[in-house]
Amino acid sequence: MTVTQRSSLLVRTISTPIILIVILILIAVIAKLVGSGPFSRTVVEMFIRVMLVAGLYIFVGNSGVISFGHIGFMCIGAYAAAWFTIPPAMKAVTLQGLPDFLAQAQLPIFLSAALAGLLAAIFALVVGRIMMRLAGIAASIATFAMLAVINVVYSNWDSVTGGTGSIVGIPFYTGIWTALGGAILVVIIAYLYQISRSGLALRAGRDEATAAAASGIDIVRERLIAFVISAFTIGVAGALYGHFLGVVNPDAFYLGLTFITLSMLVVGGMNSLSGAVIGVIVISTIIQILRWLEKGIDLGGATLSIPNGLQEITIGLVMIIILMFRPAGLTRGREIVWRFGPWASKPSTAGEVAVSKNGA
Amino acid sequence: MSTALSAQHVSVSFDGLKALANVVLDIPPQRVTGLIGPNGAGKTTLVNVLTGFQAPDEGQVFLDGQPIGGITSHRLRRLGIARTFQSGRLFGELPVIDNLEVTGVGLGLSRRESQARAEAMLDWIGIGALADRAAGGLPYTDERRVAIGRALMMEPKYLLLDEPAAGMSAEEADDLITLIRRIVAEMKCGVLLIEHNIGLVLNICDHIHVLDSGEIIEDGAPAAIKASEKVRHAYMGTQAEAGGVVL
Ligand SMILES: Nc1ncnc2c1ncn2[C@@H]1O[C@H](COP(=O)(O)OP(=O)(O)OP(=O)(O)O)[C@@H](O)[C@H]1O
Ligand SMILES: [Mg+2]
Repeated sequence: MTVTQRSSLLVRTISTPIILIVILILIAVIAKLVGSGPFSRTVVEMFIRVMLVAGLYIFVGNSGVISFGHIGFMCIGAYAAAWFTIPPAMKAVTLQGLPDFLAQAQLPIFLSAALAGLLAAIFALVVGRIMMRLAGIAASIATFAMLAVINVVYSNWDSVTGGTGSIVGIPFYTGIWTALGGAILVVIIAYLYQISRSGLALRAGRDEATAAAASGIDIVRERLIAFVISAFTIGVAGALYGHFLGVVNPDAFYLGLTFITLSMLVVGGMNSLSGAVIGVIVISTIIQILRWLEKGIDLGGATLSIPNGLQEITIGLVMIIILMFRPAGLTRGREIVWRFGPWASKPSTAGEVAVSKNGA
Repeated sequence: MSTALSAQHVSVSFDGLKALANVVLDIPPQRVTGLIGPNGAGKTTLVNVLTGFQAPDEGQVFLDGQPIGGITSHRLRRLGIARTFQSGRLFGELPVIDNLEVTGVGLGLSRRESQARAEAMLDWIGIGALADRAAGGLPYTDERRVAIGRALMMEPKYLLLDEPAAGMSAEEADDLITLIRRIVAEMKCGVLLIEHNIGLVLNICDHIHVLDSGEIIEDGAPAAIKASEKVRHAYMGTQAEAGGVVL
């Protein structure tokens, strides 16, 4: 009888995050070389969306439960970063309701971002203890309700959040390298979660909840772990976003961004980390092209331009078309792996298997 | 009380329909216990009760004399009770090896330990070559063997198999018989075998229970079951009419 000889899990799967990170680094280098301001801003935004979508993937991809609520964690993280880093003199004027220790605080940006992620994670732990008991559509609706509640609270708690208006004065910090660092961090966290015991257990529960229970898996617990980790990453993304714009207001963290990040995940393929990252890159590119078109392109005298507001419609159409031909997304739910030379990964990782049933 | 996984006077009903009525059944260690009965007799429901997926309305389940009612189903696995499902229920998008590893992880093993145990298990069953295949696209027979491997990863004292031979050819069923014998002999496991293939059941079981409309109508050694007029009447009659197995 032949003994199955296989390399360790890490060796088999490590090529995926490495390839994704190399792609991200290449994009950053190109942006630096091009050097144009607007293009750099687009790339920073894209990296932050990589953080959001890879963070969202940690929960949605592994559990199979669609969440409409994760942008709420971004809201929590961005406001926390505002509380931690706006100079006390400004806070005394605009945010008079802040408790003393926050009103006085002016933390270093990275410490503040870590705490912002932690705050989002703690919030996720508290609400998740109840929400993770729900499954399927009920769970998705609960996440949507969570988003709405966060939005209402941050829009109306004027003395702490500035209400529906914007809070200004968040120190500018996030540039290409910081945003790249954030994106790489989240890709690594998502990869490590995916190959972890909890990641495997959750993916099993996604495919067959009953059989997972028969294998000794406590699905509610594993879902909660993924929910908290993904809330942390998205909270940090919110903080970096705050330091990118210098301004936060609650409606920046609501339906528009929820729609775009979910589209990116679905288009890329929500069952793989590669899908999450590829989805962001593809949709961001389309958005950028549309922005150019909205401004108008000079075609030897004649100017070609499209009406404003066509962005959402186009993304919607692109999503429908891609899903018609690739129901499991561009990556078909597989991971990108290195198949050449001495480092060739054998197929088969946590999620790296063809999706054989057409959404059935 | 005896060493066994044991259902004592178990009753279950769904919306007034009695699925199980006062069922008493013992699964002794290192024996193959058969459970047969026509479609809808309540066989799967009994497995669900024995594995904590279904709370009985009346009666109790005992593991080696200890009542195990009220323990959540995922914790029950760790007591050494494993099962397969009538419909397979593999983790379709995971590779075969990961399907087995899930059980190791559920037991609290690290991924490295789970992988080692899963590889050893696949080799033990003789399906090591399937390790990296997606579980979703497997042929029937392989699917069943992977499901058995996944359950055996628990190193269970008791293994409950819900129609493992459904859809198998005679040859494949023979391989299954060999596998079940090895499970009993080498893994020291008590097996409950639910099966419509009567030949297979008579061949391999030490003791057989016959369930009809939720009631155990007969139990005994294979020879006694084969000879039983009651069984022939209640069970085999319907099967024969349906063009099924005749003794
Ligand atoms: N969850 C449920 N809700 C309602 N009725 C159920 C449920 N599960 C089983 N039943 C009913 O209980 C009876 C016994 O079903 P069970 O699945 O245990 O039969 P079975 O002996 O396993 O049949 P088969 O040979 O077809 O697998 C059937 O009439 C079935 O319709
Ligand atoms: Mg059944």
